[in-house]
Amino acid sequence: MSESKTSLRAGKPITIDRVSKTYQSRSGAPVEALKPFSFEIAAGEFLVIVGPSGCGKSTLLYMLAGLGEPTAGTIRVGDETVTGPDIDRGMVFQSYALFPWLTVLGNVEFGLENKGVPRQERRELAMDYLLTVGLGDFADKHVAELSGGMKQRVAIARAFATEPSVILMDEPFGALDALTRRFLQRELLRIWREHRRTVVFITHSVPEAVVLADRIAVMTARPGELKSTIAVDLAHPRDTASDAFRDLEGRIYAELDEELARTFADEGRVSSG
Amino acid sequence: MTQETTLAGRTLPFLYAGFFIVLVWQIVVVATEAHPSILPPPWNVAKAFAELLVSGEIFRHTGISLARVVSAWLLSAAIAIPLGLAMGRSVRLERLVDPLVELFRPISPLAWIPLAILWFGIGEAGKVFIVFIGTFFPMLLATVAGVKGIDPVLVHAGQVLGCGDRLTLFRKVILPASLPSIVVGLRIAFGTGWAAIIAAELVAARSGLGYLIANGMEILRADLVLVGMVVIGILGVCFDAFFRFLNRRLAWST
Repeated sequence: MSESKTSLRAGKPITIDRVSKTYQSRSGAPVEALKPFSFEIAAGEFLVIVGPSGCGKSTLLYMLAGLGEPTAGTIRVGDETVTGPDIDRGMVFQSYALFPWLTVLGNVEFGLENKGVPRQERRELAMDYLLTVGLGDFADKHVAELSGGMKQRVAIARAFATEPSVILMDEPFGALDALTRRFLQRELLRIWREHRRTVVFITHSVPEAVVLADRIAVMTARPGELKSTIAVDLAHPRDTASDAFRDLEGRIYAELDEELARTFADEGRVSSG
Repeated sequence: MTQETTLAGRTLPFLYAGFFIVLVWQIVVVATEAHPSILPPPWNVAKAFAELLVSGEIFRHTGISLARVVSAWLLSAAIAIPLGLAMGRSVRLERLVDPLVELFRPISPLAWIPLAILWFGIGEAGKVFIVFIGTFFPMLLATVAGVKGIDPVLVHAGQVLGCGDRLTLFRKVILPASLPSIVVGLRIAFGTGWAAIIAAELVAARSGLGYLIANGMEILRADLVLVGMVVIGILGVCFDAFFRFLNRRLAWST
């Protein structure tokens, strides 16, 4: 793993220990979303999870956040077992999830206020993070006045501002246009280097995974489990046109194609049977 | 500023409507040669209105009706909003209360007037009771709808940002997120309450705008009946405008 120049290694390791998830469907039949699997994420690592739709990546991320409970197994962050949501595990959502009744600054201050940071101090801290994402001039604007890309920058500032050990990102750039997406990927990497956290990032985009990740976890089709992990030993900023980059993309597409083929084969069997 | 947002821009359509009503009214009076005690011409009504203004009678009746509506409406809000917030968050509570709401809701507040008279006589309590019935359900339903309409992702965001206990989550996410819907409920309820109080006063009261109308009928003063109706209409429009203004102050609801 390429150790960057950043000396600061904030963030905590995550241990996923024989975790599985089974839902009760509406008809009452159990649906296996995640098969039991174990996995370790290092402190300060940027892990990207890719997998076919419905493989349970979001389910996993919500369990890491404490917003969903595993059916079996445990998740530990540092030494602590995850039992519910905690401000030490921040989250960035695909639909931004900004509070529309607050200003941009108010949104970034929200978590700091809950942490009990005094007014003056939290205002300065929130402003620092807004400046970091380049939205210092928008502090007093209302959320509705921002574009999608700006909203997601606010959400990133909000997640980093509380200085959590872990930041969970659920397809954060999925709703953005290609150019904004590229820009925000670079922004995120820059912020992550300055404020090193353990990041777990979910995406459908293979190039995005290779641009961002220290390591990529590929998941199997439903019921999901870990299929393989691929280390990305390329220096930042990564040249998306380089052979090494293309090779990695190719490997991941190959792994995903296998899973997709399996999904379609299964569906074919169900519909013909 | 566009025409719709200026005060003149918003009141102008009402002035046109008022002019049109007066015009048609005058034509009908002339065409049918109606007796003034049945359908007085607009001018007579204006004179009656001026008399009531000078004597202060109109302010007294309006004030009394308004006080009844406001007190019942506040009482209703104090119960309906917390109950609605709780129902919106608890499926169990909603299942428990919803059948009751569904049974009572179709019964017009006016249908409660006879019982209100039997129980409370023609005093203030009966009026407050009627308006309470009329305002309670719109507020409750709007609040429940507001809470249930909250994007779950906002609740998740609140939870991962340190709203650990339910109370903090309520105060910092659930309440502000459902506020626009609650304000709509308050507005609609004020309208139904305003309609209900007039009806209640028509039947059993010795004061208020409804009484002014009922009394006008008994003493064959159609001009007084019409003054009461005009005041009710104008005030109704004013209340609605006030609540819309309030709603716009919650800028994010747009």
